[in-house]
Amino acid sequence: MTDDTVDVLIVGAGASGAALAWSLLETRMRILCLEQGPHLPDSQFPSRRDDYELARYAEFSCDPNVRGLQQDYPINVDDSCIAPVNFNGVGGSTINFLGHWPRMKPSDFRTRSLDGVAADWPVDYATLAPFYDQNDRNTGVSGLPGNPAYPDYAPELPPLPIGKLGQTLAAGFNALGWHWWPSDAAILSRDHEGRSKCVNAGTCDLGCAAGAKGGTNFTYWPMLQSAGVELRTQCRVREVRVDPATGLASGVLYYGPDGQLHEQKAELVVLACNGIGTPRLLLNSKSQLFPDGLANRSDQVGRNLMFHPLTGVSGVFDAPLEGHKGPMACSILSQEFYETDPGRGFVRGYGLHSGRSTTPMTYALGGYGIDRPIPWGAAHREIMDEVYPNLASLTVVAEDLPEAHNRVTLDPTLTDSDGIPAPKVSYRLGDNTRAMLAHGTDRATELLLAAGARRVLAKGEDAVWWRAGWHQLGTCRMGPDPETSVVNGWGRCHDVKNLFIVDGSVFVTAGAVNPTSTIQALALYVGDSIKTNISTLFD
Amino acid sequence: MTLILEPSLRAVLDLSLDLLIPANPARDIPSAGALGVADFVLRTAQAAPADAAHMAQILQALQALDGPPTPDALRAVEQAMPEAFQTLLRLTYMGYYSRPDMREKVGVASWPVHPKGYDVPRESSALMDALTAPVRARGRIYRDAVVMTGDLS
Repeated sequence: MTDDTVDVLIVGAGASGAALAWSLLETRMRILCLEQGPHLPDSQFPSRRDDYELARYAEFSCDPNVRGLQQDYPINVDDSCIAPVNFNGVGGSTINFLGHWPRMKPSDFRTRSLDGVAADWPVDYATLAPFYDQNDRNTGVSGLPGNPAYPDYAPELPPLPIGKLGQTLAAGFNALGWHWWPSDAAILSRDHEGRSKCVNAGTCDLGCAAGAKGGTNFTYWPMLQSAGVELRTQCRVREVRVDPATGLASGVLYYGPDGQLHEQKAELVVLACNGIGTPRLLLNSKSQLFPDGLANRSDQVGRNLMFHPLTGVSGVFDAPLEGHKGPMACSILSQEFYETDPGRGFVRGYGLHSGRSTTPMTYALGGYGIDRPIPWGAAHREIMDEVYPNLASLTVVAEDLPEAHNRVTLDPTLTDSDGIPAPKVSYRLGDNTRAMLAHGTDRATELLLAAGARRVLAKGEDAVWWRAGWHQLGTCRMGPDPETSVVNGWGRCHDVKNLFIVDGSVFVTAGAVNPTSTIQALALYVGDSIKTNISTLFD
Repeated sequence: MTLILEPSLRAVLDLSLDLLIPANPARDIPSAGALGVADFVLRTAQAAPADAAHMAQILQALQALDGPPTPDALRAVEQAMPEAFQTLLRLTYMGYYSRPDMREKVGVASWPVHPKGYDVPRESSALMDALTAPVRARGRIYRDAVVMTGDLS
């Protein structure tokens, strides 16, 4: 079956695909988005159920290998110490992300020049700043202006409450003279533009049934659909096709909800499938022109995979801190150790994030993203009655550096339910990251004691979180050189001039912050560049 | 795989769950076996072949115990079949804490968190100003990154 040719075909309805579509609205081009998952109404989010926690281990697990839904693709993680996590549906991983919204910093875009590692980005903070601002307006961002860890900007909405837990930790940071600030959050602190404010449910990962969290299902997609962008759900793209005569992308082949293979032609193709899904799709798009995968003449597609390796430290305080009340990951954030200090024994840095506490079942099972149940027997009773209510935790969020051996390839046998080869992730922690996590663990311990913890719970051994692969970055990186990068400075593939990539795979470095704000700012920037260069787009 | 238990084995399973999550009589918190969590464990295990196989192993081991289960006996089972025991533990914790009444016993609301949520008042501007004053007083802590790179696009 052949459909009409569209002007712009976007693969993926998550964070970046939605932002890119919004940017192109004013062009009045015909835009179509194919999304492999469904469009879930918020009434189907599990936090309205009595047993809502169970969903975290079933259909709303962050791990596609646990969910195993028809729209999910399996990921071989046998050779990785971190499992990638995601969500497939309209909104993508913004359905189950936690809404933490820090920006990257000026130095993050210049790591080669400043610190001698990785590479400089082809764009800088100042260039992206107006796109951060625009994206914040489209999303609805709460926060406190004046953070001295950033150039000036002002979130539109007042900060979310940091609560008893946040105030307690803030006192500890102040006692040590360390930086901290209320977290910027893509979560509404008050009713805003027809959306309801956060009710502090604490289950942001289970979808936000209040509509307060800035998933693109609540932010961009209502605007896009009313503006005429066509959205086809349960459509899984198998490959991007290339016209052998021109070397340009001609469209895609996809499996529709009828289970049949369809062709969709397009003048311009945009990939927005995240840092695992996009290289998978490119590597699955082999042709005579591109026998090693589309846009992969550099052999960089799939390489340089970066996560944000995490570890956590918890303190037990003398009184309940009510950490289950409030947005799951957004309380306060310290960037005291973010910038490089040669005396620390590693390059670049990390953040100390105070999320809140998790719910009882998840705590008993080892914590969010960890499969290591707490002890049984008398110890279990003591932990749940005396420790769990009185906990405050800090997460050490480390900047990963790009390393070519950390990569996404295709698994030789594993496939999704349509028979499309699945990705395999090969990933190990670098020495720099390990040193950073160890330093962060010590500093988090110091902070918790300064804040009044009566004891600190050590995780022991190599305690990097298993399901910490939220941020999948770097696998189709930007750069000026077609020999060492996949896309140019505004997201256009070096090898295929009408093929763009706008998700986290284009990141050159990872920073040490949650990347969605930057992913979307970049997508808006790419959209703006497409408009600016429209007359010479395919030259 | 169907997990059908004789009453005597069910009683042993209940006693075992009581050992995994004991009661706290001082706070009127029941144990897992007394709460009937075994129903959840068996029902959930049956829905997943790997879990069902693990539970079949566990039940066989419990059936072979000399006398009622004790902590030492359960530890021996845990050492002999760690993966199966982890499944038992996981399903027991899930069954126990998926109950709203047990959630409430450890300080978390019994109600579904939407739409009601929790009332968490926002800090006043005065309090936030006071808390952040030392941070602001230090001044900026980010690095400038103006580097002459030429045309990188």
